[in-house]
Amino acid sequence: MVFTSVANFVRSRGPDEFWRKRKIFKMAAHYIGRSRNCYSLAIRSVHRALVFATKGRALKKQDLANLWVTRITAGCEQHDVNYHVFRESLSRSNIMLNRKSLADLACWEPFTFKALTDIAQKRALEEGIAPPKGNKVLFVPKRGSQKKT
Amino acid sequence: MAGALRKIFATFARSYPKPVAQFLPRLYSNVPTPYEIVDAQEERKTYQDVIDKVNRQVAQAKQGRLFAVVHIQGKQVKVTEGDVFVVEGYWPPGAGDRISLDKVLLVGGRDFTLVGRPLVQRGLVRVEATVIEETLSHTKTHFKKKRRKQYMRINFMRVPQTMLRVNRIEIVGEVNHPPDVTGLETRVF
Repeated sequence: MVFTSVANFVRSRGPDEFWRKRKIFKMAAHYIGRSRNCYSLAIRSVHRALVFATKGRALKKQDLANLWVTRITAGCEQHDVNYHVFRESLSRSNIMLNRKSLADLACWEPFTFKALTDIAQKRALEEGIAPPKGNKVLFVPKRGSQKKT
Repeated sequence: MAGALRKIFATFARSYPKPVAQFLPRLYSNVPTPYEIVDAQEERKTYQDVIDKVNRQVAQAKQGRLFAVVHIQGKQVKVTEGDVFVVEGYWPPGAGDRISLDKVLLVGGRDFTLVGRPLVQRGLVRVEATVIEETLSHTKTHFKKKRRKQYMRINFMRVPQTMLRVNRIEIVGEVNHPPDVTGLETRVF
């Protein structure tokens, strides 16, 4: 006996399943455990990873900006200037270096940075620019090439 | 005494009429600080010997390697001779073009720094660069998902990138001695 309608019960979900899942497995190849081999787990991890990568691009900019501020503050405090006073004084002197450039100079061009802090201090003295309340320069021990006076 | 005089002028000039002040963007160049130079000779004495030293060093070509902070495509880059840096986004110059970077904010060497306010004098520093490569960045995936709401969007983008190599940074002429006629550097006829 030949049951011809048995063939109708076979439902293919599509010919592309292998390649559709391969796109996900390629991105999950370095994951731990079942997340790299089982599709249901892999796709969740991959989606989260893509969302984190997308959001991280905006966060990276914020993080770098904060890093630059930290570096400039560190450089300023070695010369006994407050960061806010420094930036305000440079701004009023029409020196339009951004935080990225100032951080680079603070790291790699110490003499140039000292010159900028000198300009800022003179300007702050002349115009009476004071640090914001509660924002005091803490004691910074002078090390290495800086002279102790 | 001069400092006290300047302080008085500064506080006086800060008072703009209120209906005007609230619409002006908060830029410090909006409120000019009038300065009164009390003794011109004394002022010149304090800075002239420094400038003379710089000019002498540059004339004898003893300044060594120079670095510059250059403003390009809205961003500031600290470059020195031989550096390669990336300009992201739409930028007309093509591969092989030689370019002079005119917006120089700061030039420095071993013994001196020229700080521009905001830019260094136009013809004083010459920063030349060559466009070595024009590519697209790696594929960035912009993926949005709201969990449990059946909302998922994926977009791919590649940003054009131009690589520039800085050929040289030179100080041309003398500091504090600008040419009598300026603005003709880019004139063709």
